[in-house]
Amino acid sequence: MQANFLKVEGLSRVYPSVRGQAPLTVFDNVHFSIDQGEFVCIIGHSGCGKSTILNVLAGLDEPSAGLVFMDGREVSGPSLDRGVVFQGHTLMPWLSVMKNIAFAVKSRWPDWSRIKVSAHCQQFIDLVGLTGSEHKKPSELSGGMKQRVGIARAFAIQPKMLLLDEPFGALDALTRGVIQDELLKICAATAQTVFMITHDVDEAILLSDKIILMTNGPRARIAEIVRNTLPRDRSRSDIHKDPQYYRIRNHLVDFLVSRSRRMADVSAGEYDPRHPPEITLGLVEVVATEAVATIKQPALHLV
Amino acid sequence: MRPSLNLRAALVSLLLLGVLLLGWYVATLPQASKAVNVDPEYAALMGGGAVKKSGMPTPAEVGHTLIDKLAHPFYDHGPNDKGIGIQLAYSLARVLGGFALAALVAIPLGFVVGMSPIMQRALNPYIQLLKPISPLAWMPLALYTIKDSSASAIFVIFICSLWPMLINTAYGVAAVKRDWLNVAKTLEVSPLRKAFQVILPAAAPTILTGMRISMGIAWLVIVAAEMLVGGTGIGYFVWNEWNNLSLTNVIFAILMIGVVGMLLDALFAWMLRLVAYNE
Amino acid sequence: MSGFDNPFDPDHILKRGGCSCGQHASQVAHEQAVLADEEARIGRVVESTVMRALFPEDTARRNFLRAVGVSTAMAAVSSFFPLAAAKALAAERAPLEKTDLKIGFIPITCATPIIMAGPMGFYAREGLNVSLLKTAGWAVVRDKVMNKEYDASHMLSPMPLAISLGLGSQAQPVNVAAIENINGQAITLALKHKDKLDPKSWKGFKFGLPFDYSIHNLLLRYYLAEHGLDPDKDVELRIMPPPDMVANLRAGNIDGFLGPEPFNQRAVYEEVGFIHTLSRDIWDGHPCCAFGVSESFAKANPNTFAALFRAIASATEYAHKPENRADIIKAIAPANYLNQPIPVLEQVMTGRFADGLGKVRNVPDRVDFDAFPWPSMAVWMLTQLKRWGYLKGEVNYKQIAETVFLATDARKRMKEMGLKPPASDYAKYTIMGKVFDPAKPDQYLKSFKISRA
Repeated sequence: MQANFLKVEGLSRVYPSVRGQAPLTVFDNVHFSIDQGEFVCIIGHSGCGKSTILNVLAGLDEPSAGLVFMDGREVSGPSLDRGVVFQGHTLMPWLSVMKNIAFAVKSRWPDWSRIKVSAHCQQFIDLVGLTGSEHKKPSELSGGMKQRVGIARAFAIQPKMLLLDEPFGALDALTRGVIQDELLKICAATAQTVFMITHDVDEAILLSDKIILMTNGPRARIAEIVRNTLPRDRSRSDIHKDPQYYRIRNHLVDFLVSRSRRMADVSAGEYDPRHPPEITLGLVEVVATEAVATIKQPALHLV
Repeated sequence: MRPSLNLRAALVSLLLLGVLLLGWYVATLPQASKAVNVDPEYAALMGGGAVKKSGMPTPAEVGHTLIDKLAHPFYDHGPNDKGIGIQLAYSLARVLGGFALAALVAIPLGFVVGMSPIMQRALNPYIQLLKPISPLAWMPLALYTIKDSSASAIFVIFICSLWPMLINTAYGVAAVKRDWLNVAKTLEVSPLRKAFQVILPAAAPTILTGMRISMGIAWLVIVAAEMLVGGTGIGYFVWNEWNNLSLTNVIFAILMIGVVGMLLDALFAWMLRLVAYNE
Repeated sequence: MSGFDNPFDPDHILKRGGCSCGQHASQVAHEQAVLADEEARIGRVVESTVMRALFPEDTARRNFLRAVGVSTAMAAVSSFFPLAAAKALAAERAPLEKTDLKIGFIPITCATPIIMAGPMGFYAREGLNVSLLKTAGWAVVRDKVMNKEYDASHMLSPMPLAISLGLGSQAQPVNVAAIENINGQAITLALKHKDKLDPKSWKGFKFGLPFDYSIHNLLLRYYLAEHGLDPDKDVELRIMPPPDMVANLRAGNIDGFLGPEPFNQRAVYEEVGFIHTLSRDIWDGHPCCAFGVSESFAKANPNTFAALFRAIASATEYAHKPENRADIIKAIAPANYLNQPIPVLEQVMTGRFADGLGKVRNVPDRVDFDAFPWPSMAVWMLTQLKRWGYLKGEVNYKQIAETVFLATDARKRMKEMGLKPPASDYAKYTIMGKVFDPAKPDQYLKSFKISRA
C-alpha cells in the first residue's frame, strides 16, 4: 500500500469579486494526503468548500492556488483514474442501466468488444445487486437503485481512486443503510481508495479510516483529522457496541455543533496548515465535558 | 359496463362529422329556380340551369371529386395539369428540400449557440430580428437574388424552418444537465462522442419539437409560396382551381393539405416518442 | 385530354386532307419534304458560288476536280473557306440555337395564339419543343422573364414598355415581338348596378384591374375620364387577378372590373355580373396582350427567335379566322391550359353571348387576333402612361415605340411567310370618337382635361 497516494498541497479557492464586493475565499491553504486503500471522509458545514475540494480532485474545478498529486503525478483536468459518484444520480435517462455503465466502460477501454463490455458491466451490476434490472431505464428505478447504478458505473472503470460527493444524501434512512453496507463490502473486497463528502456523522464513522473536519467558511481550513480506530470489519448492526464509537461520535458532533464555528476564528499563529492536528481519540479515554453533554442526543444529521 | 373512452370519443367525432355534413348539405340545397320567361337561347348560354355553377359545392360533389381525383392521383397531362399525387409530391419535395437544408444549418449552428454563451449573446439580436419576419416577405428578395422561382420557394421554406429548429436546438443544448456533461468529462469522453452520445440524445426531444414546429410552418408556407410562384405543387393546384373558380376542387385540395399536414405531424410525434425520456 | 386533331399523327389525315401538292400524306409531310429539298438546293448554290469565285474559268475548275477528286476538292476548299458556315448563312431556315423553350402564359383567352400553338403543332412545325407554363400573375411573368426562367412569355402589351423603361421594376430591355389579340376585354358590372348604365353615376365605384401596366388600366381610365370621372379621385381602382374579380364581384367588394376574357363572360355565367361595355366599343382594334421576348434572348438566338415569331404569327393568323375557333376552343379549354368551361369560351370566341341582362348579343369581332406590333399603338400607350403619371419627364415616343415594338422585323418575316403586314408603322386611331395622331403625341396629351401629366 502506497502512502500519500493522493497529496493535496496548499489548496485554496477564491471567487473573484462580483459587483464591487470583496473577493470570497472559500477555503485557504488546505493540506492533506490519502494513502492507497484508505477511505477518507470529509465533514463540514455547507459553504466550507467540501464539494469544491472534491471537484478539484476530480479535475472538474481549478484551484486558485495549490497542487494535487495522485500517484506521483499532478492532477490537471478530469481523468478516468478517478471515478466520481455525484450527489444526484446523474444517470443518462435515455440509456438503460446496462448502457449507462457500458458508456463508462467504453470510455475506459474503447477497444473492447461488445461482448466483453457487457460481461464487464454485468459483473458490476451484480455487485451492486441490480441483477435483473439491466434493461430498465433510470426512470423505472427507485432512488436507491439509481444511486447503485451510479456506484456501479464509478467502480466499473476500475479507477485508482473513487470520489463520492454525498452519494446517499437524497436517500431515505433505510435505503441509505443498505447501500452503505454494500459500499463497505465492495470497498473491502476491492481495497479501493475513496474520498467521500458526507454530512452524516454515523456514515463517516461506519465507512472511513480517517475523517477530515473542516471549519466553517469563508476561509475554511482543516480543523483536525480524526483517525477512526474502530476495527475495519465493521457492520451497522453492532458498531455502536464498541466503546470507541461514542467517543468518536461525540467528538464529531461536538465539532459540528460548536467547535467548527469557534475554530474558524482561531488565529493562524497556533496552527500549522501543513500539519493539521491529527487526533486518535478512539483508544484513549478522554472525558470532554462538551462531549458528555451531547451523549444522549440521537444521531444527528446536518444537511 | 361503459364503453371505453376512445370508443365514446370516436362516436362523438362521428356525430360531429354527421352534423357538419348535414349542415353543409342543407346549406347547399339547390334553390327553386325563378320561373321567368327567358329567351331559350339565353338560358342555354347561361348553362340552361342544368349545369351547376361554381358557388358552394354540395357534399356529394366534393365526394365525387374526392373519388375521381384519388382514383387517378398520378396522371400527367402536361406541365400545368397533373394528378394530385404528383402535385403533393412536388410540394413535399420542396418542403423536404428546404427543411433538410434548414436542419443542416440550424442544428449545428444551434449546437454552437447552445454551447457558447458568447455566440448566444452575439447571435441573439439577429435571431430575434429575423425570426418574426413572415417567410413570404422573403419571396421578392429571393426571386431577385436567386433568380429562380423553384429555388426561391425552397429558400422560403428554408428560412421559415430555420428559426424554430435553431432556437430549440440552442435551448436544448444549453439546457443539457451539467451533471451529464460532468460525467462525460470525468470519463474523458472525446468532444465528438460527447456531442453525439450525450448532448444530442439529451437535447433530442427539444430539437425534435423544434423540427416538428418547423415542419408545421413549412407545410403552411409552401401552399402560399406555390400560389405565388405557380408551376407545380399543391399550392399551384389550389391557385389553378381557383382560377377556374372551382370551389369543389379547392375544397378537395384543402382536405388533402390537411391530411398531409396531419401525417407529417404524426410522423414527428412518432419520432419524438422514440427519443423522449423521463428523468 | 380533348379530342382535337393531332396534325402530327402520321396515321391521321387532317380534315383538310392531304397536302397542297397532293404528293404527301399531310401538309406537314409535304413541308418536311420541301424543307429537305430546300436545304439541299441552298447547299448546292453556295458551293457552286464558291467554286465559281475560286475558278472563274470553268475548264480550270473541271480540271481541278478531275485531278484531285470531288471529295478532296471539297475538303481543300472548305479548309480555307467555311462552306458549312456559308451554307448556314444562306439558308433561310438556319439551324436553331435553342429548341427546348419555356414560354409563360396567363390563363386568359388573350393568350390563345401562344397556347394553341402548342397543342395544335405550330411550335413543332418550326422545330421548337415548347413547354407552356401557366403563371400565377403578371408580376410573376415579369420576374420570370427578367430572371430568364422563361425564354419568352405572354405579356400585357404595356408591360415590355414598362420593363424596358424600368417602371415598377429594374430596367431590362424586353421587346414586343408580336401583338397577340385585339379587343376581347370588357367592363363588367355587378348585377345590382343594372340600373346604373350611365358611367356618370359610377362615382365611388370600386373597379378591379389586372395590373398597373395593362391596357385594361389605360382603357378604363380613358373611358372614365371621357365620362368626366377622375379615375384617381372619383373611383377606386384595385389590382387583382381575374378570378378574384369574379369572386369579389360576388362578394360585393368591387362594383365592376375591366378584365380579360373569359372572366367577363364567367361573371355573367355565374350570374354575378353583366357585360356593360365591350372593349371594342371603346377602341375597336385596340391591342391587348403581347408576345414578349427579352432583347438578350432575341440577340443570342436569332434563328430560334425567328422560328418562334413564325409560329406565333401563323397561330395568330389561324386564330383570326372565325371558322377555326371551334377547334381552338377544344385545344385551349383543358386544365393544362385555360381550365375553363367550354360554354363560356364559346361565347367569348364566337361573339354570340349572353350579356347578363337577359339579352343575347352577337358581336363576331368581340375578340380578334392580329400579330402586327404597331409602334403607333406603343405611342398611344406611352401617352396614357404619361397622362396618368406612370411616366414622367420628356418622352421620346417614337424612339421608345420603335425600340420596344419590333415592327420592322415583324413586317419582314410576315412577308416571307406570305402574310400581309401593313405597309406603314403608324396609323391614326379613333378612340371614343377622339382621333389619336401618333405624329403629335404631345398635342394629344395636352388635349385631355383630366390628366396628371
